[in-house]
Amino acid sequence: MDDADLDAQAMLRVAAGDRRAFAWLFDRYHASVARFALRFVGNRERAEELTQDIFVKLYRNARAYQPTARFKTFLFRVATNHCLNEVRRGEYRAPHAPDADDTEGREMEGPRGDRPDAALEGRELERAVSEALAGMSARERAAFTMCRFEGMAYRDIADALEASESAVKSLIHRATLAVARRIEALQAGTVPARSRA
Amino acid sequence: MSCDDVDDLTAYVDGELPPARDAQVRAHLRACAACRATEALLRDTVARLAELPAFEPSPATRRAVLAKLDALPMSWPERMRTWLRPAVLWPSAGLVAVLAVSLLMPRPGPDAPLALEDASVMELAANLELAEDYELLGLDSMADLEVVADLHELEVVQ
Repeated sequence: MDDADLDAQAMLRVAAGDRRAFAWLFDRYHASVARFALRFVGNRERAEELTQDIFVKLYRNARAYQPTARFKTFLFRVATNHCLNEVRRGEYRAPHAPDADDTEGREMEGPRGDRPDAALEGRELERAVSEALAGMSARERAAFTMCRFEGMAYRDIADALEASESAVKSLIHRATLAVARRIEALQAGTVPARSRA
Repeated sequence: MSCDDVDDLTAYVDGELPPARDAQVRAHLRACAACRATEALLRDTVARLAELPAFEPSPATRRAVLAKLDALPMSWPERMRTWLRPAVLWPSAGLVAVLAVSLLMPRPGPDAPLALEDASVMELAANLELAEDYELLGLDSMADLEVVADLHELEVVQ
């Protein structure tokens, strides 16, 4: 039985009220959901709140799960819908940049974070990505995040977004190009001083 | 492919194109420097994104989610699971069995004989009989008490 089957079996047990199965799924996926939420809203505290809400919603809607669908796709559909609804309410518009200023969080250090110049590069890169994300549409941000940070296939992202693969291809291309241009500008030193501060 | 099909470049970098389309894009890239530059930019960006640190949520998130689930009203499947736990099921089943047996046992009517195995009932009955004998004979002296006490033995002898 592969991981996807184990997930599906666990989710069916959750639908029958098994909380241990839910805890198992939570442990497997909560970091992914939290990363997704963070990229979506750009704020750690709010990302953790959203993660909690998403898993509670997952639990409450467990009986809607059909084992023919990949569990991760189902989970990210719940996560995407929840985050889109939150953004539509207008509470979390464009708060991406502030967290990029966070220099005390250990998680801001990249793989080369032991060198001061590399750590600075990591923060600048984080800032460039955060600002690019803030400038995207919500669906571009969702598609980009699932693709680049969760490694999901276009087909699964299309399922999660309830969109065509062709639409997802365009969303991911536009989003990736936007981030690429931002990083390019950063490297060329043409990012506005206000943004780089 | 032409330069207008630029959407395909990212899908090409991600390995998401069907084989035939993938070959067309590769052929176009050999001939088009502008698209090659875009492809290089996209590849570099995808590689740079892998350098971003992972976000690890606080362990408190797990506790908070489980607490929120505890606060939810129980669904029917959850209630069934709770009721069917051995710690609840066996004592409950025992209680139900005792109640069922007591309800199903035939109740004695008003004229039914007393159960012989109940010692306290038997003692009460004997004392009642003795009291009736006292009342019948009257108690004028201690000798009457002795007569009453031996009365049933006399009946047996007869």
